[in-house]
Amino acid sequence: MSVLSVDGIFVRYGAITALRGVSLSVKEGELVALIGVNGAGKSTTLATIAGGLKPHQGSITFQGEQLQGRSPEYITRKGIALVPEGREIFPSLTVAENLRLGAFVRGSRAEFQRDVAEMVELFPILGERLRQAGGTLSGGEQQQLAVARALMSHPRLLMLDEPSLGLSPVLVDQIFELIDRLHRRGVTILLVEQNVERTLAIVDRAYLLHTGQVEVEGTPAHIREFGNVEGVYLGDRGRDAGRKEPQ
Amino acid sequence: MITLDFLINAISLGSTYALLALGMVIVYGILKLVNFAYGELIMITGYSLFVLTLGPHLPWIIMAVLAVGVAVLTSYLTERVAFRPVRSNSLTAMLITSFAVSTLLQNAALLIISPRARGVPLPDVFSESAVIWGQSVPIRSLLAIVTSLLLLGLLVLLLRRTVLGIALRAASDNFRMTRMLGVPANLVISVAFAISGLLAGVVGLFWVGRTASVTPTIGAAPLLVAFVATVIGGMRSLLGAVVGGYIYGIVFSLIGVLLPQGLLEFREAFMFLIVILILLFRPEGLIRGVNSSRRV
Amino acid sequence: MMRMKPPAWISRNSTFFVLAVPLLLISAVTFLIGDTLIERIITVLFIDVILVLALQVFMGNSGILSFAVAGFMGIGAYGSVLFSMTPAAKAAALPDLYPFLTQIQLPFLVSLLIGGLIAALVAAIVAYPLMRLSDAAGVITIFSLLVIINVVLVHWSALTNGPRTLFGVDRFTYLGTTTVFCIVFLAVAWWFKESSTGLKLRASRDDAFAAASIGINIVMMRYLAFVLSAFMAGFAGALWAHFITSFSPYAFYLSAMFVFLAMLVIGGPNGISGAVVGTVLVTLLREGLRSIENNVNMSKILPSGLVGFTEIVMAILLIVILILRPAGIMGGRELRWPPGFFGLRGKRETPAKDGDV
Repeated sequence: MSVLSVDGIFVRYGAITALRGVSLSVKEGELVALIGVNGAGKSTTLATIAGGLKPHQGSITFQGEQLQGRSPEYITRKGIALVPEGREIFPSLTVAENLRLGAFVRGSRAEFQRDVAEMVELFPILGERLRQAGGTLSGGEQQQLAVARALMSHPRLLMLDEPSLGLSPVLVDQIFELIDRLHRRGVTILLVEQNVERTLAIVDRAYLLHTGQVEVEGTPAHIREFGNVEGVYLGDRGRDAGRKEPQ
Repeated sequence: MITLDFLINAISLGSTYALLALGMVIVYGILKLVNFAYGELIMITGYSLFVLTLGPHLPWIIMAVLAVGVAVLTSYLTERVAFRPVRSNSLTAMLITSFAVSTLLQNAALLIISPRARGVPLPDVFSESAVIWGQSVPIRSLLAIVTSLLLLGLLVLLLRRTVLGIALRAASDNFRMTRMLGVPANLVISVAFAISGLLAGVVGLFWVGRTASVTPTIGAAPLLVAFVATVIGGMRSLLGAVVGGYIYGIVFSLIGVLLPQGLLEFREAFMFLIVILILLFRPEGLIRGVNSSRRV
Repeated sequence: MMRMKPPAWISRNSTFFVLAVPLLLISAVTFLIGDTLIERIITVLFIDVILVLALQVFMGNSGILSFAVAGFMGIGAYGSVLFSMTPAAKAAALPDLYPFLTQIQLPFLVSLLIGGLIAALVAAIVAYPLMRLSDAAGVITIFSLLVIINVVLVHWSALTNGPRTLFGVDRFTYLGTTTVFCIVFLAVAWWFKESSTGLKLRASRDDAFAAASIGINIVMMRYLAFVLSAFMAGFAGALWAHFITSFSPYAFYLSAMFVFLAMLVIGGPNGISGAVVGTVLVTLLREGLRSIENNVNMSKILPSGLVGFTEIVMAILLIVILILRPAGIMGGRELRWPPGFFGLRGKRETPAKDGDV
């Protein structure tokens, strides 16, 4: 059953059309990735689904409800959680308070303690730092906090925007291992990544984006065969115009 | 002469200024808006007290609560009516709007009441003094200190122990992300403005208590104080605002005692020179926080 | 009908002419009508245009709100009268004035220039470091400058007679003078806007990082705009001082600043057309409201009179414009005259949007 269904969305940044008819879907329990170069429109797609941007054409259906044009708060309350690029944890709040806010949409207190315990089990380091200010955490720890915070809302769909960005190779391993673990626990995930090989190794399906459109979609094997991924990344196609557009 | 009297006055002033700065920063932190209409909330408090005396006789404390309530309501309404529609435009538009609201309120007072000062009722305790360690100390100053500490304590409780408070602090860190976590933006902002109104209202009670009168322009001086104290404390930090207020109050009192008469008149100019210097060289204020502000 | 193409330099600068010609007409008509009250209103109108242009030169190009314009107006006012007043008048009005200043007396036009130059000098000395700051910090520091200027004017009694009114200034400013200088400064503001400095400044307003990366020295550009703005404001202040002939430092503070801001924002901050249109409209509005106020006060319908009515309407109008049409009446465009069509069509200046809230 499709949890998320995006149909032909067009999104503009001022005079530039960042997305030109992007369509994708995510089924329950799937781990789906959006891959592509900088400027292909991956982050824009996530931002639009999450309500930060409004498409002027096309629709976004989540669990049967149309969400395009709704406010970010509404969309989050409906069960979509976004971990944005750059983590954006709250530096002056403690780890526990960051998590508390992640659970905002859920409301009740008793579950909070239980959810925190669950997060600590998934992310032991956070357990040690519960009372520390978010700003004092390292990059990798902040990334974990950002994901944990998003999970606190028990989202039906978790979206991750370049979680491995700026992390050392060891931490990149950890992040991908974490995503895989979440997937196996049944969390529905939409992942945006530039790290193509690692991504294709763990996902169910992927969409290759280029200049605001879906070039290829399908299983990792399908993409490897038809996607000319290296070509897109190294410029074989010669379509340089797309690279200059913002994400 | 650093006497007990001087000390109490300085701390009392600092307490008042701390609340004032806090009220300004709580809005600035989230919206990046320097609210020029903030001083007018003190004016509104004063005029509410005045208007209440025209009706049936009420105990002062009731009038005070009502007056502060009016300040809270005004603050909330100015956000709803004037700032919210402009929020999505630019920061400059909001700034100018706040300036317009300030002018509007001042002239409304001029129009509806009078350009002349109006007497404001004060409780008897405001004119009494207590004798501490052989010196006479105005009770009003002691009350100011106690009230400030109480309010600050309540606010700390709110900000640290309640989800709403955590949401407010988060909004101050990163407003966009707070929304993305599902926290309703308008609720957070309304609460911030309400708290701002509450703080200004309480300060207003003590401010008009000094002269027992209110004029349409009484809000100008507190606004400037709020500016300076806020900048000293670093504009993003709530704790910084409080500390900045105390520092300003104490320094201001000290300067009043130490400066030669000729330069004393320029005291305000000095304080604003300090504002400029701080913004130039240490924009995060004198308090080291976890954030740092952005500069060109 | 054959369309005549004007020379390139006229159509390039058509905005200036489209604004200057009606202003000259207004002046001529006022002169012909000969009514003293109208003449006074129009004289002040031209001074206000200069002041709003001064605000526009900095704020419209850099995107930073400048509260200091009123302060520089004051510096120019006091600076110029110190040189234009007769020694006798100075001895009477400013008994504590420094002797060498009391003795000196210069012609009116020279004193105007001095007023502008002193304001520009103060800006030149003080403002450079301030130009590094943007957004709220920039606004607060410039606002602080206004406060400091006000405190100095209020307390440097030897020069200004303190918070009290300064009397004894000669009435030198008349309709002709203000018209001429208004047109002159209109040209200056236009020239600045279209100059490379103006262009660079607007580029940096829209994207500071991009501008810096192509080598634009934002701080220097802002600084030049600020100093020019101060000169214009000071000059206008000098003109005004010799019109009103008696004034106090509070004429150059927040109330004045509100009026200038209203004029610019209602008209549209992104060009000189907005400055002129806004000033004219707001002046008309204010005079209309004022006369309503006066009539009500004279008929004693309301016991304490109608005070502050004008300002309230202005404030509400300003808020409404900011909500509904933040780029002002001109909406970011300049008035132009393409051949055969007198209208608002023309290059669209994209209004600046600050970053995300």
